[in-house]
Amino acid sequence: MILLGTNFRLHNKRLAAALLVALMIALAACGGGAATEPPTSDETPSSTQDGATEEPSAPQENPAQEESTEANTGSDQERAGTLRVAMQPIVNIDPIAISSDSEVLVANHVYDYLVDIDHLSNPVPRLATGWNISEDGLTYTLPLAEGVTWHDGSPFSAEDVVWTFDRLRTTEGTPTFDLYANIANVEATGDLEVTFTLTNPNPFFLYDLSDNHALILKAGTTDADSNFNGTGPFVVTNYSPEDRIEMVANENYFVPDQPSLAGLDIIFFNDDTAAIEALRGGQIDLAMRMSTALFESLKEEPGIITSDVPTNGFDLIRLRSDRAPGDDPRVMQALKLATDREAILNVVQQGYGALGNDSPIGPLYDAYHDETVMPPARDIEAARALLAEAGYEDGLQLTLHTPDTGNRPDLAAVLKEQWSEIGVDVEISVEPESVYYGDDGWLEVDLGITGWGSRPYPQFYLDVMLVSDAIWNESHFSDAEFDALAATAGTTLDEAERIQAYSDIQRLLADRGPIIIPYYFAQFGAISDQFEGLNLKAFAGRTDFRTIRYLGN
Amino acid sequence: MRLHGLLAGLRRLFASRTTALGTTIVLLFILVAIFAPILAPYEYNQQIYSDARQPPSSTHWFGTDHLGRDVFSRVLLGAGDIFTLAGVGTLLAVITGMAFGLLSGYWGDLFDEILMRLFDGLLAIPALLLSLLLLGTLGPSRNSILIVILVVYTPIVARVVRSAVLSVKNKSFVEAARLQGESLGRILFREILPSVMPTLAVEAALRFSYAIFLVASLGFLGVGVQPPSPNWGLMVNEARPYVSQLPWAMYFPAAAIAVVVIGVNLMADGVKRVLRA
Repeated sequence: MILLGTNFRLHNKRLAAALLVALMIALAACGGGAATEPPTSDETPSSTQDGATEEPSAPQENPAQEESTEANTGSDQERAGTLRVAMQPIVNIDPIAISSDSEVLVANHVYDYLVDIDHLSNPVPRLATGWNISEDGLTYTLPLAEGVTWHDGSPFSAEDVVWTFDRLRTTEGTPTFDLYANIANVEATGDLEVTFTLTNPNPFFLYDLSDNHALILKAGTTDADSNFNGTGPFVVTNYSPEDRIEMVANENYFVPDQPSLAGLDIIFFNDDTAAIEALRGGQIDLAMRMSTALFESLKEEPGIITSDVPTNGFDLIRLRSDRAPGDDPRVMQALKLATDREAILNVVQQGYGALGNDSPIGPLYDAYHDETVMPPARDIEAARALLAEAGYEDGLQLTLHTPDTGNRPDLAAVLKEQWSEIGVDVEISVEPESVYYGDDGWLEVDLGITGWGSRPYPQFYLDVMLVSDAIWNESHFSDAEFDALAATAGTTLDEAERIQAYSDIQRLLADRGPIIIPYYFAQFGAISDQFEGLNLKAFAGRTDFRTIRYLGN
Repeated sequence: MRLHGLLAGLRRLFASRTTALGTTIVLLFILVAIFAPILAPYEYNQQIYSDARQPPSSTHWFGTDHLGRDVFSRVLLGAGDIFTLAGVGTLLAVITGMAFGLLSGYWGDLFDEILMRLFDGLLAIPALLLSLLLLGTLGPSRNSILIVILVVYTPIVARVVRSAVLSVKNKSFVEAARLQGESLGRILFREILPSVMPTLAVEAALRFSYAIFLVASLGFLGVGVQPPSPNWGLMVNEARPYVSQLPWAMYFPAAAIAVVVIGVNLMADGVKRVLRA
């Protein structure tokens, strides 16, 4: 056992230590702030900036210049520049097991999808050159691109696609096992043609084919967890776990003139702030996924182009509807009436993103989003009246659970203030994500804030979160009319019918849903002005670097 | 303690310039803590959306934070929060530590041996780590923080008191009381405690300053009091991502922590000198 010395008489030493520690906070604070001028207050946070707000500035002294020129002299004449991207460290490299943004980003450049999703959330051909869908919606025939080779030199064929999808749909315990349960058969109907047969019609099957995990592997691959043999635009030359992954352009890539970069380095950062400082200092060229505050601080930075795109990701405030107080729908209706969504968007998200309508079918979904649906405007009197009708005329005490990530604690603080006006007293419990989601605690609590990432199509949210038997039905919502509408939208092959069903769903949720969705997030990106052609995607990991060009000189 | 003795003590306390400074700071902050609800122009969680992200001005002396809350009001109201938590926690730890220290020093032998080894064990764990362990188990709440301060500081206070007891327990006046058949309580509190008092007072003041710092640190780490409490550490934590945009939202609470900790330490240093004299 360690015995600590009894040096408790050394008061002066302890005083010195205390002073030191106290000063450290102040000093630590100085480090961050000194670099940038505080923005002027007339800058409205809601002003959207479209990236091109700044003229590319004259080359400044920074290490990026040297590095980039160095990279420039590298490979063939047409391809130039190495893009250095900051990302969170990766753990999984086998496409069947990847999940984080950074894991998907790496895989997306080593391998190819059969069908990709463009930055407007539309399915686009990648290894497939197109698709034919049968009348009954059960058979999908996809011709494949010619001239595709694996990084090891062997030719690509339909057998590889069949093998990959068989692996994805038969490996138990993977997300794709459930996702592809509806596939009855996959077969090579030609050397470069593959045919999928479904059990039931699935209007979103092209999106499913583009699932994050559905990157095509070479048939028979057994070492995908330690090796990178793809058909993709870049070839891995060096992987140092926890540090970086370095790639060079695939000279034999099947799309002419792509990639236009000579190399791609993905450098791992655990800390967003450190990544942004590296971007400022020129050690990296591109950062995605950062807090609104960090993004704001980059807007004035010379040599950096910022861009933000809308996503359908959102923070969800939900009240359990199967027990008191949420079992009386008037309670949630009162909370909806007490919530000032516009103020939340402007304050919590600094105006970035889009206003929520309490449904997960956001404006990004174009035709599926019904912009005429809006939850009733803020009305304190009406909210108080509803609470009183529900039997809470003397107010209501609620504990609001929230993960400590993103702007969620801020959202909680704003809700506490807004709801206090109708006599709802909120106690906030900020929890690490591991605690919030651990032991399925988030599915148990009455009132919680959950963040949901952006998906390319809306049916996902309904099926996993809101239908009666959904696996993550966190609000314990059970509404026969809703279930019927969700089923219609998810199976009908008639687009007009689906649009109508989604519209009805949005109206239903705004009116009596157990959830409040105050805003949809924006996705942020900041890139050195030495590069052009960045099209951020709602899911940052699916951002495609094949068309990014180096402008350096 | 007699009144004129106290006054003489205070006079001597103010004789040293650094001690006077420390004492003034502490008294000032205690006044602020008491009168903050009257002095603060806004509520601690009052959000004026139209005034969000404003630099210091005549309407918002310390500016506003990202949610449009008045930083000046929050710093003032935070004084009450931090002084109550640190004060009550220290009081609990000092009382418990004093009781253990007196008994352990006076009885000695096996009781002393077991208790001190137990405390050694607790002291071997760094204070912050122990706090995190406890808060992880108890869950974050104001009561948990009091328990944390109690558990973390009781062993330290007990050891200091014990060593002071050891130096007086064989003095003749204690012997005399024992021979007269005085009760244990009387011997401990009437005979021994007064001579241990100076050490205890200094220790209490020091513990108080450390407790302020501990409460602020836990707030900063996000495991202590829950938002939107105006706890200074929590305020620094919440303002940290915005430091390049809204530095004032972070600097003012950070400065408040620094000033109070320095003040309490300067005062404790002086108290020690006065009591030793």
